[in-house]
Amino acid sequence: MTDRRLRVAVVVLSTIGAGIAAYLTYAHITGSPVACATGGCEIVQHSKYSELAGIPVAALGLAGYVALATTAAFRSDVVRAAGAAFALAGFAFGAYLIYVQVALIDALCQWCLTSDGVLTLLVPVTLLRLRSTA
Amino acid sequence: MSRRRLFIVAAGAAVLLGGSLIAALVLTTRGSTGSPSTGPAGVAEVAAMLRNVPQHGAALGSPAAPVTLVEFADPQCPYCGDWERISLPTIVDKYVRAGKVRIVFNGMSFVGPDSETALRTALAAGEQNRLWNVIALLYLNQGTENTGWVTDSLLRGIGDAIPGLDTKKMLASLTSATVTRRLAAAAALAKEAGVNQTPSFAVGRTNKALKLVQVTSLEPAGIEPELDAALRE
Repeated sequence: MTDRRLRVAVVVLSTIGAGIAAYLTYAHITGSPVACATGGCEIVQHSKYSELAGIPVAALGLAGYVALATTAAFRSDVVRAAGAAFALAGFAFGAYLIYVQVALIDALCQWCLTSDGVLTLLVPVTLLRLRSTA
Repeated sequence: MSRRRLFIVAAGAAVLLGGSLIAALVLTTRGSTGSPSTGPAGVAEVAAMLRNVPQHGAALGSPAAPVTLVEFADPQCPYCGDWERISLPTIVDKYVRAGKVRIVFNGMSFVGPDSETALRTALAAGEQNRLWNVIALLYLNQGTENTGWVTDSLLRGIGDAIPGLDTKKMLASLTSATVTRRLAAAAALAKEAGVNQTPSFAVGRTNKALKLVQVTSLEPAGIEPELDAALRE
């Protein structure tokens, strides 16, 4: 796959992820209800695991997706490596948050799971971008 | 930079960043999770009953449910405890989980001081959408009326046994202006509805006038005909 296509994929996936994270951040800050088919979104959103040092975890996700989308604008080795690092770190953190939902909170948030799916797709895309540079 | 070196840099940075985020979340939430071995009774049953059922403050179930059931109850009232133990799991499974009915807990504290402490705790947990977990666990660990059974230790144990609940935050809100206002609003609603015994219920279509119902049985069959009738309206 060409680098151009991979960059487009990074932007598209990051935009989807950023949209989800922005929605959850807004709901967390305003306390507004979250549309939820799994029934556990608000339980997850109001749990003690929803904030890290006072910052909503969703806002951290938003920052991560914006950073990931930004890496698509550059072709340098360092930025591509940063993109892969963000995706891998996000994937690992997302996996831990799934564990938290299942084992500690006992509730599932469909938006968080969708975001984890987006991150799962971003990992190979950013790694392929990294590979295509050498 | 060589391909190999790029992968190593990316992997190293990912481990550092991801590891830091996970470690920070573990460290900042440590200390009040899980079910302590000497914790309250009924933790697993309550968790199973309420698993993935949405809660918004004092309301249990989907806000879009066509029928609303208001439960007027005192945390110290033994019959209220019986209803919660005997009927609530069935009503939740059959009506709430199916999106047909939402239940609103309207707490009363006419029995005595323990009622108010218990209600304040439940309302404070409601700010984290865990009121129903607290109320259910209080009923399953109910003591003799006005013996001081609603202890700080019991409340901490209940809080720590509820997944995701910030016990410290809940206990810090017990005497907050918001909780006090909600307590007064619940008492006013009960008075306005003409409630003179607990448990009492009001049933009707969501967002329309509700009808006060006195159940003659604490079995699910005591309230089910009222719910079915409201669903048919």
